[in-house]
Amino acid sequence: MTDAPPPAPPGRHDLPPPALAAEREEGEHLPPLPPTVTTYPLTFTGQAGEYFRLWIVNTALSIVTLGVYLPWARVRQRQYFYGHTWLDGQNFEYNANPVALLRGYLIVGAFFLTYSVTANFDSTLWIAGGIGVLFFGLYPWLVMKSLRFVAASTTYRGLRFRYHGKAGGAYLTYGLANIAALLTGGLALPWAWFMQRRYQVQNAAYGSARASFRGDVGDFYVIGLTGLAVGIGGAVLLAVPVFALLFVLSDLPGLGAGSLSLGVLLALLTAYLAFLALYAVAWQYVRAATLRYVLNRVEVGGVVRTGATFSPWRLTWIGVSNTLAQILTLGLATPWAAVRRTRYIAQGVQVRAIASLDDFAADVTPPESALGEAATELLDINLGF
Amino acid sequence: MTTSGPSSLSLSGVFFDGRTSRDRAAALDVTGEDVRLQAEGGLETRWPLTQLRIDPPVPGVRRVLKFPDGSRFETADDAAVTALEARTGRNRALGRVRRLETRWWTALAALALTLAFAWAFVAYGLPALARGAASATPRSVLATFDRETVQVLEEGGYLGPSRLSAARQAHLQAAFRRVAAWADHGYPYRLLLRDGEPEDAPFQLGANAFALPDGTVVLTDQLVALAHNDRELLGVLAHETGHVTGRHTLASVYQGLGLTLLSVAVTGDLISAGTFAAAVPASLLRNGYSRAAETQADEVAGRYLMQAYGTTKPLRDLLARLEEGDRNADENSVEEGSHTADLLQTHPGTAQRIRHLREIETRGR
Repeated sequence: MTDAPPPAPPGRHDLPPPALAAEREEGEHLPPLPPTVTTYPLTFTGQAGEYFRLWIVNTALSIVTLGVYLPWARVRQRQYFYGHTWLDGQNFEYNANPVALLRGYLIVGAFFLTYSVTANFDSTLWIAGGIGVLFFGLYPWLVMKSLRFVAASTTYRGLRFRYHGKAGGAYLTYGLANIAALLTGGLALPWAWFMQRRYQVQNAAYGSARASFRGDVGDFYVIGLTGLAVGIGGAVLLAVPVFALLFVLSDLPGLGAGSLSLGVLLALLTAYLAFLALYAVAWQYVRAATLRYVLNRVEVGGVVRTGATFSPWRLTWIGVSNTLAQILTLGLATPWAAVRRTRYIAQGVQVRAIASLDDFAADVTPPESALGEAATELLDINLGF
Repeated sequence: MTTSGPSSLSLSGVFFDGRTSRDRAAALDVTGEDVRLQAEGGLETRWPLTQLRIDPPVPGVRRVLKFPDGSRFETADDAAVTALEARTGRNRALGRVRRLETRWWTALAALALTLAFAWAFVAYGLPALARGAASATPRSVLATFDRETVQVLEEGGYLGPSRLSAARQAHLQAAFRRVAAWADHGYPYRLLLRDGEPEDAPFQLGANAFALPDGTVVLTDQLVALAHNDRELLGVLAHETGHVTGRHTLASVYQGLGLTLLSVAVTGDLISAGTFAAAVPASLLRNGYSRAAETQADEVAGRYLMQAYGTTKPLRDLLARLEEGDRNADENSVEEGSHTADLLQTHPGTAQRIRHLREIETRGR
C-alpha cells in the first residue's frame, strides 16, 4: 500500500548526465543505459468560485427547462473538471454528446417512473417486478456500457481513451462477484473489489496503448479490514459513553417517566447519528485507499505508470467534511467540495514515463451509446473509482 | 492575438494530428472563408471555414477547433475564437451560457431563480400536478386502491371487526346512506364500521375516520363512542365525502410519490446526505398540503350540517373532543395555539377549524 514513487523533479524528458551520454556515443560496447524516468505531476487549475458560477447557472437552466437541459449541464460540469486537469502542458477533454445522454435519460427515466407507479398496486406489481429483474439482469452490461462511454468521451492530446471490456467480464465481476460477496456475508467483498478494479483497468486504453493492473487481491483485504477496524473500533469507543449515559439516565432518582424517555431518546438519536457518521468515515476510507492503491498499480502501454502520493486519511477527512458542509449549506457547497477534493487528489498524482508522452498512437473508436452512462448516473450505480 | 483586417484572424496554439499524441506549436490563420494551419515541422493544411468545428466554450478552459480529418488546434486565445464564433454563428446558445457563468451577478440571479423555482414548484406546482393526476385517474384504479388499502389495514391488524350492536350498525349505515345520497357524485359510497384498537395492533388508530378514493369511508368504534349524538357523526361522514369528491387521498399519495422522485433527482449525487436531509422538509410540506384539503372537506361538512340541522355545532363539538381526548369537552375547551405550532400540524389547528365552521354557520343564516 505504501509504494509511493520516488520523488523526482517534474519536467520534460530529463536528459541523462552529459558524461554518460558522451560515453555512449563513443563506446558501443557499453551495456544499454537504464531508461530515463520522467515524472509529470498532475495539476488541477479549477477555482471554487468560478465553478460555483458554472454550477449554479447550469442548475438554474436545468430547472427552468424542466430537466431538458440536464445533459448539457452534466457535460459542462464535467468539461470544466477535465479541462482544468493538466498533465505535461496539455489538458484533458470531455466530449460526450448531450443529445445522446438526453435520449438515455429519457429511456431510463421512463422505466424508473413506471417502476415507481406500478410498485404501488398489487395488480400491477408484476410490471415493477419485471423492471426490477430486468435491471438486475442488465446491471453488469450497463456498467460495461458506462465504462465504454466515459472512456470514449475522454480525450488527451487529441487521442481518445478506449475501453475494451466485454459483457462476459462485466457479468463475472459485477454480477457473479457481487453475488458471491452477498452470499459469503461480505467475506468475498474485497475479492469483488479486486476483480472490478482489475476489469476496469485491464480493459482501458489510451489510443492503442492498453493499460494493465499490477494489483493483488490480498491488498484489497488489507484495505477492507482497515475499514472494518475503523468501523468496529469507533463503534466500541462510541458505545462506552452512550451506554454509560443510558445507565446514568435510567438510574437517576427523582426524574419523571416523561423526562426519562426523552433523555433515552436523545441518547439513542445521538448514537444513531454517530454510527451513521462512523459508517461514512469507514466507507470514505475504503474509497480513498482503493483509489490510491489502484493509481499506484496502473501501467499504460508498458512505458507509463501512474502513481499516487496523497494520504487516504486526509482524503477521508476531505470526504467527510465535504459531506458535512454540503448538508449544512443545503447543497450550495457542492461546487466548493468537488473542487477541493479534485485539487487534493490531483496534487498527489503523478505519471512516470520512460518514453515521451508524444509517442502514443490512435486507435479507431466507434461511437458509444450513452444509455449505460445515463443509467449509471440516474440510478446511482456506484462504480467506486 | 493579431488581427489584420475585419475578415482575417490569426491565432497561435497547439496542433494535434489525431493519430498520435505529439503536440506541435501551430498558427491558424483565417482569411475570408479559408482556414490555413501551419504547424511546427513544416506541416501546412487548408480547410474551408465551414468545415471547422468549434467546441463550445467552458470558463477557463483552452478552446478547441476540430477539423474533419480528426486533427485539432487548441488555443488559449479565447477572444479570437469568440470573434470567430460570432462571425460564423456557431455555439450561440452555449456562448450565452458561458457569459452567464462568468459574471457574479448573473450567477447570484441564477441562485435566486433556482431557490424561487424550487420553492414554487414544491409549494404550488407539485400539489397542482398531484391534483391534476388525481382527477385524471380512471375509476377502475380507484376501486383497486380502496380494495387494497382496506386489505392492508385489516390484514395488518390495524382494524378489527366492529363491536357495536347490529342495531346500532344498521342505524349508522342508514344515516350514512342519506349523507351519501346528498353528496352523490357517482361514487359507490360504503361505510365500514371497524374497531380502531384491536389487540396486537402495530399502531392504534383510536377515534378516527378516513376516506379512500373510491368512496369507502372507515369509521372506528372509538369515534362512535366519543360522539354524543348521531348529528356529530353525520358531520364527520359528510366531511369524509368531501375528501372523496375532492380526491384528496389520491392527491396526497401522488404528492408523496412526486416528492420522493424529486428528492432522488435533486440529491442524485449526494447519496447518504440527500435521503436524510430531504426527508424532513418533504414530510413537513406534505403535512402542510392537507390543510387546504381539510378546509375544503370542512366546507362540505358545514354545508351538509346547515342543510340538515341549520347549525355546524355538532362537528365543532366533536372536533374539540377529538383534540382534547376528553368525552366531556366541547368547542369552548379548545385554546388557540401558537402560529408556529399550527404550521407543524398535520391538520389545520382545531381552533382554526372550529372558527371556520362558525363562519359557515354565520354565512348560512
